[in-house]
Amino acid sequence: MKTYDVMVIGSGFAGMAAALFAANRGLSVVQTGATGGIDFSTGFIDLLAVHPIAEQKVWEDPFAALAALRRDLPAHPYCRVSDDEISLALQEFTNFLGQHGLCYRGRDKKNTLALTSAGTLKPTYLLPCTLWNGVEAREKKANTLIVDFHGLKGLSARQIAEVRKDWPNLKTARINFPGMGGELYPEHMAWSLADPARRAELAEMVAPLAVEAQYVGFPAILGMTDTSIVLRHMEELLGRPVFEIPTLPPSIAGPRLRAAFDRGLPGLGVRTCTQKLVTRAESSEAGFHFTAGSGSTSVDISARSAILASGRFFGKGLKADRHHIHEAIFDLPVTQPENRGRWHRPAFFDPQGHEINQAGLETDAGLRPLGADGKPFHPRLHAAGAILAHQDWMRMKCGAGLAIATAYKAVASL
Amino acid sequence: MDFFSIGLTLACVSAAGGALWRVRTWFLRGKAFAKGGNTGPGVFRRFVGGLADVILLRRTLRDGPARWTGHMLLVLGFLPLIFLHAMDDVVTRPIFSAYEPTLDPWQFLRNLFGLISLTGLAILAMHRITRLKHESIAQDWALLAVIGGVLVSGFFLESFKIMSPGDFTRMTDDYFPEAESEELLALKTYWARENGVRFTIFLPTAPEITELGAQLHEDRCAGCHAPTATAFVSRSMTALVPSSMNIADQGRTVLWYAHVALAFIALGLLPWGKFFHPVATAANLLVRGGSRTSSAGNSSFSSGLALDACTRCGQCSLHCSVAPIHKVLGNRDILPMDKLLDLRQHLDGSLSPTGTAALVEGSHICTECLRCTQVCSAGIDLQDLWATSKKVLTEAGRAGVDGEIRKSTAAEWARDFSSRNLGRIGSTGAGLADRAESFWGCVQCTTCTGVCPVVAVSEDPSRDLDLAPQQIMNLLRMGLKAQTLGARMVWSCTTCYKCQEHCPQGVPVADILYELRQLGADNLRKKEGRA
Repeated sequence: MKTYDVMVIGSGFAGMAAALFAANRGLSVVQTGATGGIDFSTGFIDLLAVHPIAEQKVWEDPFAALAALRRDLPAHPYCRVSDDEISLALQEFTNFLGQHGLCYRGRDKKNTLALTSAGTLKPTYLLPCTLWNGVEAREKKANTLIVDFHGLKGLSARQIAEVRKDWPNLKTARINFPGMGGELYPEHMAWSLADPARRAELAEMVAPLAVEAQYVGFPAILGMTDTSIVLRHMEELLGRPVFEIPTLPPSIAGPRLRAAFDRGLPGLGVRTCTQKLVTRAESSEAGFHFTAGSGSTSVDISARSAILASGRFFGKGLKADRHHIHEAIFDLPVTQPENRGRWHRPAFFDPQGHEINQAGLETDAGLRPLGADGKPFHPRLHAAGAILAHQDWMRMKCGAGLAIATAYKAVASL
Repeated sequence: MDFFSIGLTLACVSAAGGALWRVRTWFLRGKAFAKGGNTGPGVFRRFVGGLADVILLRRTLRDGPARWTGHMLLVLGFLPLIFLHAMDDVVTRPIFSAYEPTLDPWQFLRNLFGLISLTGLAILAMHRITRLKHESIAQDWALLAVIGGVLVSGFFLESFKIMSPGDFTRMTDDYFPEAESEELLALKTYWARENGVRFTIFLPTAPEITELGAQLHEDRCAGCHAPTATAFVSRSMTALVPSSMNIADQGRTVLWYAHVALAFIALGLLPWGKFFHPVATAANLLVRGGSRTSSAGNSSFSSGLALDACTRCGQCSLHCSVAPIHKVLGNRDILPMDKLLDLRQHLDGSLSPTGTAALVEGSHICTECLRCTQVCSAGIDLQDLWATSKKVLTEAGRAGVDGEIRKSTAAEWARDFSSRNLGRIGSTGAGLADRAESFWGCVQCTTCTGVCPVVAVSEDPSRDLDLAPQQIMNLLRMGLKAQTLGARMVWSCTTCYKCQEHCPQGVPVADILYELRQLGADNLRKKEGRA
C-alpha cells in the first residue's frame, strides 16, 4: 500500500487549503471528508472584522484588528500565524480558485462591506468577483434594480430594499424564472443558465424593468462552473453591470467552491476520497493508518503525517454527547466549558457569544494538537481550521481566513 | 434407418425448426415495442466492438475471473470437439487425408479438449452453486447437466472401448482375417500389455511371443492406432473399473448409446430456453456493437433479439437496486432476470392473470437506475426494455402501483391512507422512516433537493412531484408518514443516491424514499385485496 506524505482529514476551507498547499509543495496528498461547512458558505473569505466580540467592534483594517487580537487573546489560533503568512496563504488560495473559474476580489488591507440576502452589510476581506459590482453600486448609491424570483426562498429583494433605507435608488422586481415554476432551488437554476438561450430569456424578462437602472442584481444563481461567462453574457444582454447577492445557505457559492476544488485538486495529484469520513485511525512512530468510509466502499490509507481539519460540530470533527465534547478521530483532549450548563448563555444573540463556540483543540506553536499529557500528541499530526480552540469565527467574522491561514501554517510546519 | 440416423435426423429437425421459431420471435416480439430504428456510432466500430465482446467475452470479465475463465475454457474446449470430433466425417476427414480418430494428434487432442471443457464446466457449476443457487431454475441446471453428461459419457465411452475385447475381435476380423491363432494370441498379448485391452483368457508372457505381437502390431495396427496412452484421460479412467469385472463389452455398448443420445439431446434442445444462449447472446452482442449504455429507440428487431438473449447469469438480479424490495414483497418479477422471462410470456400472450399482476407490480417498482444494463454480460439493453414495457403495460391499462399512485395527489392519498385501516402504515413500524434516529441530524438544509436530478428536470417540482426530498424528510420526522406515501417524488426517484451521498448529516434519504416505495406497493396490494 502506498504511504502518502500527508493525509488531510477534512474537506472544508481548512482541509481544501491544506491539501492545496501540501500538493503545491510537492508532497503526495490524500484527502478525505464529506459535505460540510464549505457547502453552506456564502463564498466570502473573511479575515477578521469583529474584535472584541463583547463590544462587537467592527474593524476596517483586518491587520490592525489582528494586532489588537494578538495583544488581547494570546490563546487565539491567529497568534500562531504571522501577517505575512496570512497574506501569502490567501494569495495562494485565491490564485488557485482563479485558475478554476472562481475569481476573488477585495481591497488591500481593508475589509469591504458586502450586501447579504437579508439586506444587512457584512464586513469581509475577499469576495467573489460576481458580487463586486454590487459593492460599487451600494457605495455609489446608484440606480439599481434587484431581481428576485417567484418560488425562490433564499432571497427577497423587497426585504433588502426595506432594510437599506439608506439606498433610495434601489428598486426591486419579482419575476418568474424562465422554464421553471413552483418552488425553486438555486443549484437547478444555476445549472439551467449554462444554456445561453435560457440567459437570453431571462434578460428579455428583466430588460424592460431595468430601463432606469445602472446596475442589476440577481440572487446568486448565475451559473455553476462557468460563473464569469454567465455574468459577462448577462451584462452584454442587459447592457449594464450585473452582480450577484448570495442567497440563504445553502447558497450556490458553496457548491461552486467545492466544484472548483473537485476539479483542481486531482490535477495537482491529490487523491481525494470524497464523501468519506475517517472511521478508524491508528498512529505509530512511523505514521498513521486510516480507514475512510465503511462497508464495501471503504478505503485504507497510510500516511507519514496528518493534518486534522475536520471542523467543529457541523463538520463532525467534534462530537457532543449529553455531557462532554469529544474529538472524533483520535479522541484528543478538547478544551471545553466545565459543564453543560455553561455551553450556552441564556440569550442566543448575547454579544458575549457562547462558551461552547470557543471549544476545540490546544496546540503548540507549530499547530500540533496536544495530547492528555500536555505534549504534542504525535510529532507529525497538525490541526487547522475551526477545530482549534479559543476562537469564535462566526462572531469574529474570521472563518475562512483562519482556516486558510492555519492550514498554511500546518503545512509549513510538516 | 438405425438409431443413429433417426436420432440425428430428429435432433437436426428439432434444432433447425426450433432455431427458426426462436429467430421468428426476434421479429415478432419486438413489434410490440414498435419504434424507429437506431443509429449509433459507425458501423465498423460497432462491428469490431460487438465482435470483441463475443470472442473475448469482455462483458463476462466484469464480474470477476471465475465465470470468464469457465466460459473461455468451455468454449475453447467444446467448439473443437464439435467440429473435429462430432463432425469428423464432414470436417476433419476431408481436410486431413490421414485422419483416423484413433491416431495422434486427434486422440490426444480429443482428451485435451474434453478435459479443458470439463474444467470450464466445473468452474461454471461451482460458480452457480456458490453464488447463484437461489436465482437458478431447472433449465440452468439442465444445461450444465446435459453438457456435462456429453463430456463425461464421452470419456467413459473411450475408456470402455480401450478395454473392450469385443472391439479388438471386431477389428482383427475386419483387418486381419487371415491371422493364425498363434499370431492372434501374440497380438492380444501386445494389446493387453501396451494398450490396456482386457481379455478374459490367459495370455503368455514369453519374450518371443511379445516380440511377435509387437511386430504384428507394427505391420497391421499401428497405421491406424496410436498407443492408447495418449488418450491420457480415458486410459487413466480404465483404473476405475476393477480388473475382476468383465463389463467392457456391455459397458461400451451402453455408453455409446448414452453418449450419442446425450449429444442428440443437446443438439435437439439447442433452441430451448437457455440452451440457445450461445446463438442469441452472440447475436445480441454483435447488434449492440460494444455499447454499454442504454439508448432509447432501439429498432424492433434489436428489442426482440434483446428479449431473447438472456443467459440467466444472474448478474442483474444480484446488482438490482430494488432487490431488497423483492425480499420483502416476494414478487420475483422485481428482479430483472425473472421479469424478462415473464415479459416474454406476456408478449407472447401466454402469461397468466396472476403472472401479469406480478409483472405489472415488478415493472413499476423498478427505478430504471441503469445498473442491470451496465452489468448485463449478454449486453442486453434492459433499461430500454423496461422503459418500453412499462409504457406498453400502461397503454394496456396496467399502469401498476406507479400509475395508481399518480392518479391522486399526495394529499388525497394521505386522506385515503389515514381513513383506511391498514394497521401501522408499513407493516412493522420499524423501518428507517419510523426511526427518529434516521432524521436526528436533519437540518432541512435542502442539499438533498439541490442535488436531486429528478427535481432538476422538473419544470415545477411542487406540481410534478408533490414534495421535494427534504420536505418528505421533514414530514417523516414529524411522524406524518401517511402524507408522504403518495408523493410522486417517491415514485419518480431513480435511486441515484446523490441525496444520500451529499447529505451533510448522514440522513439515509434515498434508502428512505425506497422504503416508502415498497410500502406504497404493499398498501396498494392491501387496497386491491391481493395477498
